[in-house]
Amino acid sequence: MTRVGRRIAELSILLGPVTLFLAVFFLGPLIIMMIYSWLAPGLYGGVEWQFYPHNFGRILGFADPAFEEFDPVYLSIFFRSLKIALITTFCTLLVCYPAAFQIARLPDRWKAFCLFLITLPFFTSLIVRLFIWVLILRPTGIINGLFLWTGLIGKPIELIYTDGAIIIGMVYIFIPFMFMPIYASVEKLDWSLVRASQDLGANGFNTFLRIILPLTMPGIIGGMIIVFIPALGNFIVPAVLGGAKVLMMGNLIEQQFLYARNWPFGAALAMLVMTAVLVLLWFYVRYEMRRGGDAAVTR
Amino acid sequence: MRLARKIGNAALAFYTVLFFVFIYLPLALIVVYSFNADPINMMNWSGFTVEWYLKILGFRTTISETALYLESTPQLIQAVKNSLTIAATTTVIATVIGTSTALAMYRFNFLGKQFYRVLLFAPMLMPDIVLGIALLIFFVGGGIQLGLKTIIIGQCTFLISYVFIVVSARLAGMDRTLENASADLGANEWTTFLRVVLPQLTPGILGGALLAFIISMDDLVITYFVAGAETQTLPIFIFGMLRRGIKPEINAIAVMMLVFSFVIASLGLYLRSRRR
Repeated sequence: MTRVGRRIAELSILLGPVTLFLAVFFLGPLIIMMIYSWLAPGLYGGVEWQFYPHNFGRILGFADPAFEEFDPVYLSIFFRSLKIALITTFCTLLVCYPAAFQIARLPDRWKAFCLFLITLPFFTSLIVRLFIWVLILRPTGIINGLFLWTGLIGKPIELIYTDGAIIIGMVYIFIPFMFMPIYASVEKLDWSLVRASQDLGANGFNTFLRIILPLTMPGIIGGMIIVFIPALGNFIVPAVLGGAKVLMMGNLIEQQFLYARNWPFGAALAMLVMTAVLVLLWFYVRYEMRRGGDAAVTR
Repeated sequence: MRLARKIGNAALAFYTVLFFVFIYLPLALIVVYSFNADPINMMNWSGFTVEWYLKILGFRTTISETALYLESTPQLIQAVKNSLTIAATTTVIATVIGTSTALAMYRFNFLGKQFYRVLLFAPMLMPDIVLGIALLIFFVGGGIQLGLKTIIIGQCTFLISYVFIVVSARLAGMDRTLENASADLGANEWTTFLRVVLPQLTPGILGGALLAFIISMDDLVITYFVAGAETQTLPIFIFGMLRRGIKPEINAIAVMMLVFSFVIASLGLYLRSRRR
């Protein structure tokens, strides 16, 4: 065999499995889901093979008048999921950002140990970490117990099965995701610029706003993206900490698939989540490319 | 001014301590309460007991039997077995495919390389519920029986990407001069690969495999959708228990899982630090 022929053969052997696997089990299912979202639901679950735009109509407000009425509840659940995901993202950012500065200035040995402590929960069971918050927040849990014991409240207050419980649970499990990108940009921060700003008379607030914040912005944005995406479509946290009371997109999609058995409508809801994520990623890629371009110019 | 800075520094240090308390206090709490004899109220410490542990391991205990899942032990053991089978299989598949992909991307320049890069990141960025239901539609539409096989396939779709990234990072940090030296000294490509590239790559491959194993053991969303009604993994078993109402044995199961994952993660990080 020729040399070129051998290299082509080698490449196809190395790349063949992943191509086949992802084409059949990743791209294929996504395309089928896309098609499903435009088909009519069958009477007893399943699907009718005819074009049916009303799955999206039900969500967006042009419903099939003979069959379904427009129900704004789906859009409101979508916006509520966006809201909860956004609040979660900002809370996680606020929790992680200051800690990154402290850890970045520790001696190397301590730094490594702290990073180990922060990544360790990522490797432990997600469901176990959420379960702990059920124990903490429920009426007979530790927080209500403490409040009752100190006499601050007369009877248990409702902590679990609220938006707040979902947000706390998500912040808790997403800390490692947010921390690492932020830490990476804080670690790289050029402190001589900060000192220069102070020497030139800027106060602490201005130095933070004009120097530190812009320089750590790539980490902030990276962390926010990594947290926002799983927060938006999350269904485990609302299922465990939101009970049946607080619905997010994830729960709604799960219901359509496992209980209501309206798969095309569920697929349409999933498409909505996917579209939101893709739009976000598109902006992120543009931001990264612009940043890359800028960096090249200043260098 | 200097005083202000000192106060600021102290506040930041104090905040960081609180940050770690927030992460670890809940984990400590559950360990303590898994030994609490009071099954209902967390604030009531009614004595130290290991009975919950004995109970889930299938021993007879004296704690009131009416309120508990009497039949849960065999289910739990089956769930653990399923989880281990799935994790072992997905780890092997994902490691082989992920590593060969990383090698291809490292050694070759070809048309569509950028597309592959996006394709490999996509499963990790896709919200897992979207991937989960897409796979469910695909399997059911294709008439494939849901069970262990579908779980393994479903998990591999995103585990390949994790292995790919870990191995690629290792490849990027590798010393290419050694490869060239080996070629100059007359070794053929295959020998160079086996005796020069592979030994340098092993920590990366092991790291990727370990990561795949841990993520597979913990995966809930994808598994939940493609598992079908009969197959349970450990996270799904616990998820089901939580949805039915909380029983004190879960504390003990949770603590055992925490210990298990702490040991594996510490081992992985320790190995990585020694290899450097």
